[in-house]
Amino acid sequence: MTYRVALIGAGNMGGGHARQWSIMPDAEIVGVLDTRGEEAYPAGPTFTDWDTLLAQTKPDIIDICTPTPAHRQYVEKAAAAGKAIFVEKPLSRTMEDCDAIVAAVEKAGVPAMSGHVLRYFPEYASTKALVDAGGVGTPATVRTARMASFPQITGRTNWYADPAQSGGVILDMILHDFDWLRWTFGPVTRVYARGLFGLSEYEGQLDYALVTLRFASGAMGHVTGSWAHPGGFRTTLEVAGDKGLIDHDSNRSAPITASLRTTGGGPGVAFPESPMNPTDDPYYKELHAFIQALKAGVTPPVTVYDAREATRIALAALESIATGKVVTLNDN
Amino acid sequence: MTTRIGILSAAHMHVNSYAAELARHSGVTLVGVTDPDPARGKQLADAVGTAFFATEAELLETGLDGIVVTSENIHHRALVELAAAAGVTAILCEKPLATTVEDAKAMIAACEAKGVRLATAFPCRYSPAFVRIQEQVESGAIGTVLAIRGTNRGRNPGGWFVDPALSGGGAVIDHTVHVADLNRVLLGTEATEVYAETGNGFNHQEWEDSGFLTINYANGVFATLDTSWSRPKTFPTWGDVTLQVVGTKGVLDLDLFAQSLAHYDDTSGSVGWPGWGSNIDAGLIADFVKLAAGEDVPRIATGVDGLRALEVALAAYRSAEAGEPVGV
Repeated sequence: MTYRVALIGAGNMGGGHARQWSIMPDAEIVGVLDTRGEEAYPAGPTFTDWDTLLAQTKPDIIDICTPTPAHRQYVEKAAAAGKAIFVEKPLSRTMEDCDAIVAAVEKAGVPAMSGHVLRYFPEYASTKALVDAGGVGTPATVRTARMASFPQITGRTNWYADPAQSGGVILDMILHDFDWLRWTFGPVTRVYARGLFGLSEYEGQLDYALVTLRFASGAMGHVTGSWAHPGGFRTTLEVAGDKGLIDHDSNRSAPITASLRTTGGGPGVAFPESPMNPTDDPYYKELHAFIQALKAGVTPPVTVYDAREATRIALAALESIATGKVVTLNDN
Repeated sequence: MTTRIGILSAAHMHVNSYAAELARHSGVTLVGVTDPDPARGKQLADAVGTAFFATEAELLETGLDGIVVTSENIHHRALVELAAAAGVTAILCEKPLATTVEDAKAMIAACEAKGVRLATAFPCRYSPAFVRIQEQVESGAIGTVLAIRGTNRGRNPGGWFVDPALSGGGAVIDHTVHVADLNRVLLGTEATEVYAETGNGFNHQEWEDSGFLTINYANGVFATLDTSWSRPKTFPTWGDVTLQVVGTKGVLDLDLFAQSLAHYDDTSGSVGWPGWGSNIDAGLIADFVKLAAGEDVPRIATGVDGLRALEVALAAYRSAEAGEPVGV
């Protein structure tokens, strides 16, 4: 069987998903919903109306890659229509919407997966495997960092620069880390954070956050999120336990660095590259894992509840930044 | 005319480096060393070619310009007060300055009363890499500083460092003060509030072996600091001091001990990162010798500087106890 995929939103993330679906043997894009119509996805067919998309393309899967605020409405529509759902992160900007999404999926009994793709990045997946195998003994401190320049969107409104829509580095960057940390080290009980979001005159130009976590296991976590690094994207990771330590730095593990001489004799620029086989691309692997779960009839590996929990940590961090207080997370 | 310096106690391992720097300093006569453990004291004296004195009084009676106090933290106050009473020109006290604010203030007061200049041993101020980023920050290269992410991690030093009756605590009191001081130098402002998570997940003892601090400053800057003894025995080096200074125009990343080799050694079966950067203790000791000779040396940390850094560490303990941010 070939799964029929309707893509909702063909922006940065939707375009990326489209490339993965195009090389997946057992799935195909049958239609794209985007307010910009054909311009958004020239390969087509494109739609600007949900009902028409559904009636004409008869999709099995609704792949939701819209800006965050539209996630809930499309999950609810897709669940009501009995479709399998893939929804990008962050699940939502509010717990109310997260709960509504989880409830809609549960009520409809449809399979649903959220796009916490960091679990499929090989360096993070390998670290979890090593931790699970006792490679550091019992983990005591864990630190992750995700650092980049402020995101740009060419030719359209930069919704990342609108705090109400994007949630800054906490919800757009280190939400990934929160999910991976919760997956690897279990539930978080306390969150304290400082950051520039909502407080700084530089809002919409740069963001930086330092988040401290306490896990139910007793381990301590520290997460750096930056949209203040002009020098390009970098991630770091360190897990220290009573029997060892694992660390990773993306600056240290690129197998290729091209140093190119500029014409005119000016200083050249170095471009690091870390290529993988196409089927090892994390975005391919997460969508492939979704398809495999659908085929097997099992719960997809990253549920919307997982996404709700990661979002809860992120919203707690934003609350801590706003109030200056520690936020305690209970068990629900 | 040389500057006469003595050392009170060889308990802290940093004394080996300080003593070696003093012994090779052409303007210094290293008069002698005392230690409650004669074997340890004599070992140090022999290693650097100076005399061992059985009591502090005997060493102080020789007439000294400067005293270095490198005892267990809990004894800093008594030894500094003793040296101040003897009327030396300057005292260099190992960090943390003390284990309580009361002790630190008493030490500062005792020195002021006698006109003795009290310095706190913060050698990281003398790292050429730190001096360089201080210049860059002050020149506005990264615009206005908004946040600092720091680490000062290490291996568990063991010995008296893990006896809170002698050290005043664990990893937090051992490792908070260096970066707290560097931040204060860079920002030129005081810490107002501290939040800390502390843990004992590495050694599973009563004392804390890990600490994640958040330090809020009067000018709105926020900083975090990892003070943990999180380096395993197999780690290639003792630890680190790093700062990520985030400004409106860019970011400065400092790794104070990055100047190192990687050494793969089949003889010992280990991998090491031996450093080749400038010796930061040499800068500290050179400045202390000037201070003891009566010169003004703006870079050296004063007793008050030591107190301010200690207050951050002590606030971290209060915060961990309270489970919420506390005032400094």
